[in-house]
Amino acid sequence: MRRVSKFLSLLVICAFSVIAVQAQAARNVRVDFKETTLKNGLRVITVEDHSAPVIALALTYNVGSRNERQGRTGFAHLFEHMMFKGSEGVGTGEHMLLVFNNGGNLNGSTNEDRTNYFEALPANQLDLALFLEADRMRSLAITKDNLDNQRNAVQEERRLGVDNQAYGKSGEIQQELIYDNFAYKHTTIGSMEDLNAATVEDVAAFFKMYYAPNNAVLTLVGDFKTAEALAKIRSNFEMIARQPDPPTVDMTEPQQTAERRANVDDLLARAVRVDVAYKAVAGNSADFYALQVLAAALQGGQSSRLYQKLVKEKEMLTNVGGFMDEKRGVGALYTNATLRPNVKAEEVEALIYAEIDRLKKEPIADWELQKAKNTTRRNFINGLQSSLNRAVTMGQYTVYYNEPSLINSRLEKVGAVTKEDVQRVANKYLLDTNRTVVITMPKAKTRATTGASGQ
Amino acid sequence: MRSIKNRRRFVIALMLVALVSSTAFGQAVTSPQSGPSTKGAVVKGKAPVNKTVLKVKLPKAEEASLPNGLRIVLLRSDKVPTFNMQMVVLSGGLADPADYHGLSTFTAALLREGTTKRSSRDIAEQTDALGTTLTATSGISSLTSTVTASGLVENLDQTLDIFADVVRNPAFPQSEVDKYKTRTLNQLQFQRSIPQFLAQEQFSKAIYGTHPASFVAPPADSLKRVSSKDLVGFHSTYYRPNNAILAVVGDVTMKDLMPKVQKAFGDWQKADVPVVNIPAAPEQSTAKIFLIDRPGSVQTVLQLGTLGIERTSPDYFAVLLADKVLGGGPSGRLFMNLREDKGYTYGAYSGFGASKYRGTWNASSEVRTDVTEGAMKEFKYELSRLGTDKVPTDELENAKRAIIGSFALSLEQPQALLQNIITQKLYNLPADYWDTYPQKVSAITADDVQRVAQKYIDMGHLQVVAVGDASKTRDILAKYGTVQVFDADGKPVGGGESNR
Repeated sequence: MRRVSKFLSLLVICAFSVIAVQAQAARNVRVDFKETTLKNGLRVITVEDHSAPVIALALTYNVGSRNERQGRTGFAHLFEHMMFKGSEGVGTGEHMLLVFNNGGNLNGSTNEDRTNYFEALPANQLDLALFLEADRMRSLAITKDNLDNQRNAVQEERRLGVDNQAYGKSGEIQQELIYDNFAYKHTTIGSMEDLNAATVEDVAAFFKMYYAPNNAVLTLVGDFKTAEALAKIRSNFEMIARQPDPPTVDMTEPQQTAERRANVDDLLARAVRVDVAYKAVAGNSADFYALQVLAAALQGGQSSRLYQKLVKEKEMLTNVGGFMDEKRGVGALYTNATLRPNVKAEEVEALIYAEIDRLKKEPIADWELQKAKNTTRRNFINGLQSSLNRAVTMGQYTVYYNEPSLINSRLEKVGAVTKEDVQRVANKYLLDTNRTVVITMPKAKTRATTGASGQ
Repeated sequence: MRSIKNRRRFVIALMLVALVSSTAFGQAVTSPQSGPSTKGAVVKGKAPVNKTVLKVKLPKAEEASLPNGLRIVLLRSDKVPTFNMQMVVLSGGLADPADYHGLSTFTAALLREGTTKRSSRDIAEQTDALGTTLTATSGISSLTSTVTASGLVENLDQTLDIFADVVRNPAFPQSEVDKYKTRTLNQLQFQRSIPQFLAQEQFSKAIYGTHPASFVAPPADSLKRVSSKDLVGFHSTYYRPNNAILAVVGDVTMKDLMPKVQKAFGDWQKADVPVVNIPAAPEQSTAKIFLIDRPGSVQTVLQLGTLGIERTSPDYFAVLLADKVLGGGPSGRLFMNLREDKGYTYGAYSGFGASKYRGTWNASSEVRTDVTEGAMKEFKYELSRLGTDKVPTDELENAKRAIIGSFALSLEQPQALLQNIITQKLYNLPADYWDTYPQKVSAITADDVQRVAQKYIDMGHLQVVAVGDASKTRDILAKYGTVQVFDADGKPVGGGESNR
């Protein structure tokens, strides 16, 4: 059945609870892994776990929309779609059939900083999973028909998520406004024009440069014997040739010096929306974790300061949310607020800024710190239940930070955040000059009353 | 972690919903020579597939009860130190008075807005500080009302204290009821900007007429009249231990859990609960086409379907397999045809619901406006084909493997397993229902699939809803029958009908 995904900002941080008030000691969860590098440079991380008859495989490639050039926005993601259209030993669409028909699950996803491909299958299908990932890394089928077909699918994906959705364009406009460096100054979904411009030659060159074993991390989690699995990984992947390392991307982001602002008229929206972002800091840094805790206090859940003030007390909003974005480069703290009718955007903005000022002037409460850490801990360890989630997460930590062990240390990093840290990062990053604001106004298109039928 | 979202990731999140949450199948894989029976895929048959379908043993739940009638179901899962608990109250929207749809929804929604011991704000702050999520929901046509808490086992005692307070002692302060009303009325307006919401709303209306399942959101009339007194009434009538199941999954033993449950719910008073008559779904109406005009749309959201089955129908497993073949995931015929072959859409799926009344069986997709006609044609083709042509053996066997094989993965989703147990209890299914599920799937034949396709996907009763730019799609839809046109607020447009 059709599910309409809501635009909730799941604040997913991670905390290791060190709060003394808790009666019982919190049990830690450890993920034991083994790291190997093949001769061709492919990094391999394995986690043997016999608790369920499942294997999960993820290939995380060190390429994302940050690597795109002007005129080819959206290309990394379009390329991701091509990876499901067949290779030497796999027909177009066959990859999906093989995984789903054997009781498995799969997907691929692209963001600014990485592209990943992953599948979970019953444990007796390890050979199948390895074959599928190795065959496309080795011998992707690059044809005009496949490209045109997936160009269409991706353009529909853009329409579905951006052009046919209320507020869809506001996010795109905000991202382009926040950043100066082209690497992040465009969306991963890309523009229709640039998607149209992509050629099979682009696909072939991108494949050769970025989809090489030395630019990828393989993570395998689940019910297998490590030595046997490593032998299989070698026999599937080790013959794939290494390529010269791709050029590094300059991610330097100039200091912002003044507030940036845009107003968007939206034909599809029914309520005014205010989107505020503060350019901040890269992921997995002490300041990043402090900003995650700050975000929990400011806008996480119904106990948050913005929800209590603006939704409950003032009744100016129907909803408010936000998150601290985690990026390899500079991320931002986002807040979004949906206004009730007849409420002025500038009044909402003023109240949001007043709450932000309070974060600068006074430390957050003990319970707010506890909230951030406990919420993070629950989310994080619940995520560890699934082999697939562990495989994907460790792949990402390795490509992002060269730190697969972050899966074991992340909660401690959040646990180390103090109230003073939160106040310090509020004063450091949540400055007017660091701010980018987008106001979306509903602008209904008027229609001739007889309902023009195009005759 | 990676689920931090922004708008750009919203796009990807949709993809995750579409792909990861579905298990699917639909193609000849085991016999490559037979070639694909559907469009969009080429089968080379070179990949190494293990032919054995892993048999898995599902974990057993433990059960207990309190003298006041509260039943407890526990599924132990000690991989990580967390828990999820649900108080499943066995009355939901179907217990609403006929002129007051939404009462159970409002009751559930306001449980956490204040108790005799705690204010709304206390509840929010205390649960969030524990890292616990606390939600309460009931649908307008649901059998149940459910309060759910999910948290860390080291905080189980404190969570249970708040959880029990919310379940047992809600105060429904009038001031909170008033705030809820205005907030929800605005949210309902907001929902009208979402094209899939508009499609679902019109589709439900078309199938169900005046049945409670015709509402996908509470009617504004009900919302305007709701008062604290009404909520107190619904709560005290139905939220009773002898009318509830406490279902728990997580890192806790029955031995540890029961004293805590006894403390939290032991003195909860039982009472006679009125028996609710489940209204039958109305007879199917003749085929109709509805067009919701949404100016500015660049896609047409299409939803087509008919009335399906009850959860306990003997046709359940045949429909399950027929739906898998048709569009139960990215390897279903709809996805393979409309996306992988035609490039009309980002996704095309089918699905069915089944309750104590007949659910719907429907197919849907979002397609760019200028291929609305092509998409209609392919939908009609695939829906008809399921009834006219027998499903090839390989395709059916793959569908079975997909469903049975996915049980292995479900072992890593203890909450889904608990949900299965709740379903078994709600519908009085046999105790070994899930253990014997694979055999029931295996027993379905191509004749069974064809029979249920003919029986339920009856083109003479097909309801079609399109949400998009009417100026560009009205004439196209009119080729398939009389089109009734509405605006996004549900008002008829331009005389309402168009035909040619």
